Amino acid sequence: MKEVRLIKAAPAFTEVITLSAKKPFRVNQLIEKNIKWLFPLPTGLFIFLMMIFPVLYTFYVSLTDWDMISGGRISFIGLDNYVNLLKEPRFFNSIKLTLYFTIMAVGIEVVLGVAIALILNRDFRGKNLVKLILLLPMVATPVAIGLAWTLFYEPTIGLGNYALKLLGLPASQWLGSSKMVIPSLALVDIWEWTPMITLIVLAGLASLPQEAFEAALVDGATPLQIIRDVTLPLLRPTILIALVLRCIDALKTFDIIYVMTTGGPGFASETLNIYAYNLSFNYFRFGAASAALVALFTLVLACNLLVLWMRKTYEL
Amino acid sequence: MISKKRLSRGMFLTIFILSLMAIIAISIGAAPKQVTLRFVAANHPYTDVIKPLIPEFEKKTGMKVNVENYEENQLTQKLTVEFTSRASTVDVFMTRPLQEGRLFYKNGWYHKLNQYLPAAGWDWADYPKSIVEAVTLNREVYAIPIVTEWKTLFYRKDLFAAANLKVPTTLEELEAAAKKLHNPEKDMYGIVSRGQRGAAVTQFSSYLYSFGGDFIKDGKCVIDSPEAVEAFKYYGRLLHDYGPPGVTNMSWPQAQALFASGKVAIWTDASVLIAGIIDPGKSVVADQVGVAIFPAGPAGARPFQVVPWSVAVAAQSRQKDAALEFLKWATSKQVAKTAQLNGLTMARTSVWNDPEIVKQLYPGLAESANLTGPIAVPYDRPLMTAVGEARDAIGEVIVKAIETGGQADIASLAKIAAGKVDVLLVRAGEGPN
Amino acid sequence: MKKRWDQVGWNEVKRIKWKELGWYLLVIMITIPFIFPLIWIIAAAFKTQAQIVASPPIWIFEPTLNNFKSVFMEQDFARFLWNSSVVAVASTVLSLLLGLPAAYSISRYKQQTLGVFILVARLMPGISFLMPWYILFSKIRMVDTFSALIASHMLVALPLIVWIMINYFDGLPRELEESARVDGCSIQTAFLRILLPISGPGIITATTLSFLFSWNNFMFSLVLSTHRTKTLPIAIYNFVSYAEVSWGNVMAAAVVIITPAIILTMIFQRYVIKGLTVGAVKG
Repeated sequence: MKEVRLIKAAPAFTEVITLSAKKPFRVNQLIEKNIKWLFPLPTGLFIFLMMIFPVLYTFYVSLTDWDMISGGRISFIGLDNYVNLLKEPRFFNSIKLTLYFTIMAVGIEVVLGVAIALILNRDFRGKNLVKLILLLPMVATPVAIGLAWTLFYEPTIGLGNYALKLLGLPASQWLGSSKMVIPSLALVDIWEWTPMITLIVLAGLASLPQEAFEAALVDGATPLQIIRDVTLPLLRPTILIALVLRCIDALKTFDIIYVMTTGGPGFASETLNIYAYNLSFNYFRFGAASAALVALFTLVLACNLLVLWMRKTYEL
Repeated sequence: MISKKRLSRGMFLTIFILSLMAIIAISIGAAPKQVTLRFVAANHPYTDVIKPLIPEFEKKTGMKVNVENYEENQLTQKLTVEFTSRASTVDVFMTRPLQEGRLFYKNGWYHKLNQYLPAAGWDWADYPKSIVEAVTLNREVYAIPIVTEWKTLFYRKDLFAAANLKVPTTLEELEAAAKKLHNPEKDMYGIVSRGQRGAAVTQFSSYLYSFGGDFIKDGKCVIDSPEAVEAFKYYGRLLHDYGPPGVTNMSWPQAQALFASGKVAIWTDASVLIAGIIDPGKSVVADQVGVAIFPAGPAGARPFQVVPWSVAVAAQSRQKDAALEFLKWATSKQVAKTAQLNGLTMARTSVWNDPEIVKQLYPGLAESANLTGPIAVPYDRPLMTAVGEARDAIGEVIVKAIETGGQADIASLAKIAAGKVDVLLVRAGEGPN
Repeated sequence: MKKRWDQVGWNEVKRIKWKELGWYLLVIMITIPFIFPLIWIIAAAFKTQAQIVASPPIWIFEPTLNNFKSVFMEQDFARFLWNSSVVAVASTVLSLLLGLPAAYSISRYKQQTLGVFILVARLMPGISFLMPWYILFSKIRMVDTFSALIASHMLVALPLIVWIMINYFDGLPRELEESARVDGCSIQTAFLRILLPISGPGIITATTLSFLFSWNNFMFSLVLSTHRTKTLPIAIYNFVSYAEVSWGNVMAAAVVIITPAIILTMIFQRYVIKGLTVGAVKG
């Protein structure tokens, strides 16, 4: 397959060379020599410029007692906000819930997403249609999804309990139960984002070298063995990328929780991001909110460093 | 082959970037010469009424008015970001006196209106004293009230008739009625009321007052008083025993949807929510909705009647005169009359006295307003600056009460919550003197 | 030789590949849970509010167009559509322009720290940008311009594109560029002419995701736009009012918002495929 591509592309080379020969040679050389810097520079610069002020601002505010309740006076209080956070049970509750939600949602998403990608990884009639359908949960605006699922989860008139009743299972309070609220929210997240994992893994599968598969088939391996010993190991970097991207977003999940429960019942679904939002726009305590945001940032960073470290150690 | 593709790709990109630049240029360069006001409103029936009327105003004054509207919490969020940055271009905005009035006032975000109000066009005398107080702090009027709402009892006329029940006039009767009509096997629940943390506080307030409790007294939070604890227990028991499942995640949208779907017999909430249950397109029980005043408790009948929304001029506005002109018009008698004819319950007295208007209101609604008015409590939440945080603290107790049917140690929970609210009062300088 | 239909016997029936059928059934079972809620949303868009909240759920009903009428009568809905399109397309295209070369460089030259730095941009919670960006953009008078919105959306899209493409480029063998360079091609030309054209699948995925993230972005648009640059997700909230949630209108708005997103994504994918692939490449 790849060889075919190469041969087909061969005539292109000659054209390519003639084209580039027309460009001033020196500029080309200059670009080539510095390509290591030139290529990533615009991106790096852009990100730096867009981020530097917000990052410094957030850190600075987290060291003040800025609070609109007391009329907006700002005074420097050092690490007091962080100390207070560490004394606040709601803070630890939010971290626990954030991790609970993320592990449940992303764990299931990755397993499901990879499985579905493996199943769909062959040419078949309607493959593009299926890919389009899988795209839809990600396309639908989170607000609409949140409101629709709120209705599904309504214990009395919602489809959720209707379905459970049909299956002979006991009804659930879904979002109204402090025990079931996080799994209910995780289910929505899984529904929304498993397709993203599937699509990333499908793209990854498309770039895998065929030789390994052909060799395994020649050796008489069963499909299951191929998946376990050839596909999955080759897919690990791709799965990791999908995992990292999803982890980052899941830890910061905001839209659906905000629309469906605003952190309730009580504080049973108040993840760290929702807690920070409440502090900012419900309580107007910007100093404390910034400290919580720094904590969230640290949490996300830590999780990602963990995953990347695992990648290094297990030589993925 | 390649050159063609290169051409088409290059062309696509160039066209795109050019059009992008054009758009940017247009949006920056289009500086209008006439006075353009920026009115930031909420998603509220009032906004729906005023939007089609704006062209009249524009024609009369030659100004242009751009309206933006947002959901209430996003409105606060957006205004906060803009006003805090001190670079806001907002001229006129809708605001909630009870929720953010003190906060915004304290940070100097309202343009004070006292000096203008005596002038003729404002018809300031048309507002009753209690309503004027709602938008006044330190004797400074910071906004013009537009609508009122009060605590109401919605009930199913058909179910009450079938069970031979009278409309409850005391909280005891309310509980008895809810018990009688509560039939979970048949998917029918006795009563629903908000149970979602902070959102529940405003609806719980009337129960609180009717037991003789209150939120704050002399700068200290008193929701741990014996009367208040009784109120928590009653509310928790009522919703736990005779309420629908999942009530602790219910704010008004969920409660309204449930009542509209015919699954619950009684609903206590704010009057303005009637809109979603009497429209046959929105509710399966549209023709069976009864409206009554909130029942009396051991301490008497004490429902709330409040000014939920008002309109203000931004202190940071650079076109204050024009903004005031717009404000005067937007809160004028004519506009109020149009709004009331559209089913809103406005704050001006004159529109209530107009018989043509009163005829239009839903039967029972006008009556409940008149009966509620004289005995009403003018606030439905603690009157303080850090009201958001206080609502969450108090809401926590409500949720616990509902989850345990009032059996939990409410007294201790209430005491902890009261302590938290006390801290907030002190921090805002509203503590005991 | 094809048999006539009445000559088909039991042998032929047995030859129907049951495995194939089973597999198709599996695919259907996989897609149903993902599409069912959306079918419900679409159905709800044609129901009245009373029908939406009714229980047991109403499957058969007379559809109404009222919700769609309300959505289109919403002032400025066409403008929201335009604004969202401009911002989404611009931020995606610009992010591709910036991100593809960066991803290539990081992949080929193992610039790990740079890669992590770009990823870090995604770690910051969205809320922390609201106030600083508003202050920043208002100081340079860029609030309520598309540029501010596009830049804010790019901050989400760029790291996404870079990271997906780093991984994708990592999977492509180096022989291709190397043989091109042996033939006298410069690195950048090899990148442009050889690598990109066969990166179709990766680029399509990255583009699609980036576009969708921008299309549905709510928070940044809420703060950085006024009536002139308001985008679609805010339009949905228009139907969440103070005294009622117009469920039907919300669902209709959702349908109206999803449809252009799908169409634009499909156009994009076709462009990406057409613009990049050389010859008959599997994609």
